[in-house]
Amino acid sequence: MASGGITPAAAEAGLEALRSGWLTMGPRTEALEAALAERLGAEHVVAVSSGTAALHLSCLALGAGPGSEVVIPALAPRSCAGAAAAAGARAVPHDIAGIDPDPDLVLATIGEATGAVLARHPLGYPADLGALAEACAARGVALIEDCREAIGATGRGEALGRAGTVALLSFSSSRQLPSNEGGAVVTDDEEIAGKVRSLRSHAMTSGTWDRHRGHAETYDVIGVGFNYRIDEVRAAIAHAGLEGLDARVEELRERATVLEELGELAPGALIEGSSPLAVPLVAEEPSGVEALEAAVVEAGARAERVEVRGDGELPEARALAARILLAWL
Amino acid sequence: MAGHERIPVFDVLVTDDDVAAVEAVLASGNPGMSAEAERFEREFAEHLGVEHVVALSSCTAALHVACLEAGIGPGDEVIVPALTFVATAAAVRYSGGTPVFCDLVDTETLQIDPDAVEAAIGERTKAVLAVHFAGYAAAADRLREICDERGIAFLEDAAHVPVASLGGRAPGGFGRSGCFSFFSNKVLACGEGGALSTDDPDVAAFARAVRGGEAPGRGELGPALNYRLDDARAALLLSRWRRLSDEIESRRLHVRRYFELLADVDGLSVPFANEEVSNSSGYLMTVLVDPERRREIRADLLSEHGIQTTIFPAIHELTAYRELHPGLSLPHTEHVARAHIVLPLFPHMTEGQQDRIVESLAAAIG
Repeated sequence: MASGGITPAAAEAGLEALRSGWLTMGPRTEALEAALAERLGAEHVVAVSSGTAALHLSCLALGAGPGSEVVIPALAPRSCAGAAAAAGARAVPHDIAGIDPDPDLVLATIGEATGAVLARHPLGYPADLGALAEACAARGVALIEDCREAIGATGRGEALGRAGTVALLSFSSSRQLPSNEGGAVVTDDEEIAGKVRSLRSHAMTSGTWDRHRGHAETYDVIGVGFNYRIDEVRAAIAHAGLEGLDARVEELRERATVLEELGELAPGALIEGSSPLAVPLVAEEPSGVEALEAAVVEAGARAERVEVRGDGELPEARALAARILLAWL
Repeated sequence: MAGHERIPVFDVLVTDDDVAAVEAVLASGNPGMSAEAERFEREFAEHLGVEHVVALSSCTAALHVACLEAGIGPGDEVIVPALTFVATAAAVRYSGGTPVFCDLVDTETLQIDPDAVEAAIGERTKAVLAVHFAGYAAAADRLREICDERGIAFLEDAAHVPVASLGGRAPGGFGRSGCFSFFSNKVLACGEGGALSTDDPDVAAFARAVRGGEAPGRGELGPALNYRLDDARAALLLSRWRRLSDEIESRRLHVRRYFELLADVDGLSVPFANEEVSNSSGYLMTVLVDPERRREIRADLLSEHGIQTTIFPAIHELTAYRELHPGLSLPHTEHVARAHIVLPLFPHMTEGQQDRIVESLAAAIG
């Protein structure tokens, strides 16, 4: 279960940042953003304090705030609804039967008030978002591609993060590219990137780094922003960690392949192209989950059940939740 | 710049001990949140003389948690000073409340005026959030009494005062919650970080829950955030914490020497009194100059002498806050906001640097 894994080179880069004495967002944060943008083929990457912060700011930048709804998968982690609600939006769970969201089930929850749809690549397994992206575009609803659990996954041969209006990354210590705590918003939209950049540091018109270099005398505050800044040490750790990312993903896949032997994979989960954090195993019947759990623990992995969010009907999600068990790598 | 060494307004000196402390955490392979953060929480609580400290991702996070915990919501007002960093007022707005700004005691005591606070408390006032500005204590004892009498919460923005005293007690320990900052320009810096102090176990439990992404009492789909401070930052904090009292002593020496040197400079005044320094954290060195000439003086210091300074804009005059209370007048705050300059101050600054700053300031004033 040791998903945490800051490589020695990444740790050294963090210490080097520390020795420099400049700790708040500056050149190392800019370098991380540039490296991620290049890797993902995106115009803009804005690094923030966490993946949750990335979603909170994305909702605000997309205008999915008070009075609007953000559609989330019913099997999403708590932070999806939490960050959308922090932005003032109402989180509305949609039904889901596996890794890939069914566009019809998502569309069934889209209404007048929908400000954004969030689609996940859960646990590092690339979801097929093509049809959903088209459906969202046709409805004029922004798609947030949640890659917080899927850095390093390649989907159909390409890095994930290009399907939606924005994509979210996380550098949490339990993820593929750990920097202890951190995250990022990825987008080609300059206006959205500008809003996220502004809101991550109190909607101030200049930053500490600008003022340190004498580029700005003072600042105005033009909105209600937050302190969602990453710092230079964490930025340096994430940046240097990119070097070892592909090897790490390869290792995770190998470990997943071993656990895969314990049962059936959840619908849509393919280890090839994934960047797995856990192996989602399904029992034929709910009564079989206990035996599955025993096998997972026997194999030395941590087993976890999955919760359904909200109290809606959500029949597919409830049926899957009754049969699924996560074996953490 | 006329060939001078540049002097920054704040400077963080990272020692070998600091690096070693962070290295140990990174090498442990488990740099999430646990041991180091808990150790810091215990030591800092003991120092403040409070029951609980909860380490958080920033002071802004602490202020947000404090407002949420005090039950601030739409329609509620929270009284705050306008001479502060914007987070003080923004935190009130995150919770749906409205910040109401009160003036300072005067232009030498740069703290919120308890009389003005008392007069401003109305039907909708749910809390007072005082700031201990520049490293000196606001009248937290009196403000606490006023709040208790009126049955509202007293909260403290103690971002500038991890070490200070008001009648032998630590600021941050007077309120229902006290909020501390460990941002990189602060007295105790770890890059990004903060903490909430409290004597109330329920407040501490609430803060711990919110930090970890829970939303007590707000439903399964309610707002939830990540306000964690990882162990690498906590280890850095602990390492720096252990030499903080020496650094504060150095800061106080520099402030007293500034007072002495600046007494001979015409065209400026110096807030705070010599006898207050020993009870302060020595965070900011402020001077007041002619507001009409401040911009020019600061530009001259930077371009001719390589000396960086900073200022605090008054919150009620910022674009995002101007419309909340149109026509609001806070004469002391506005004068200070237009007249003050924050001069360089850091523990390892030299007498030579300080002499140069004062000489340059005198020359810039002309």
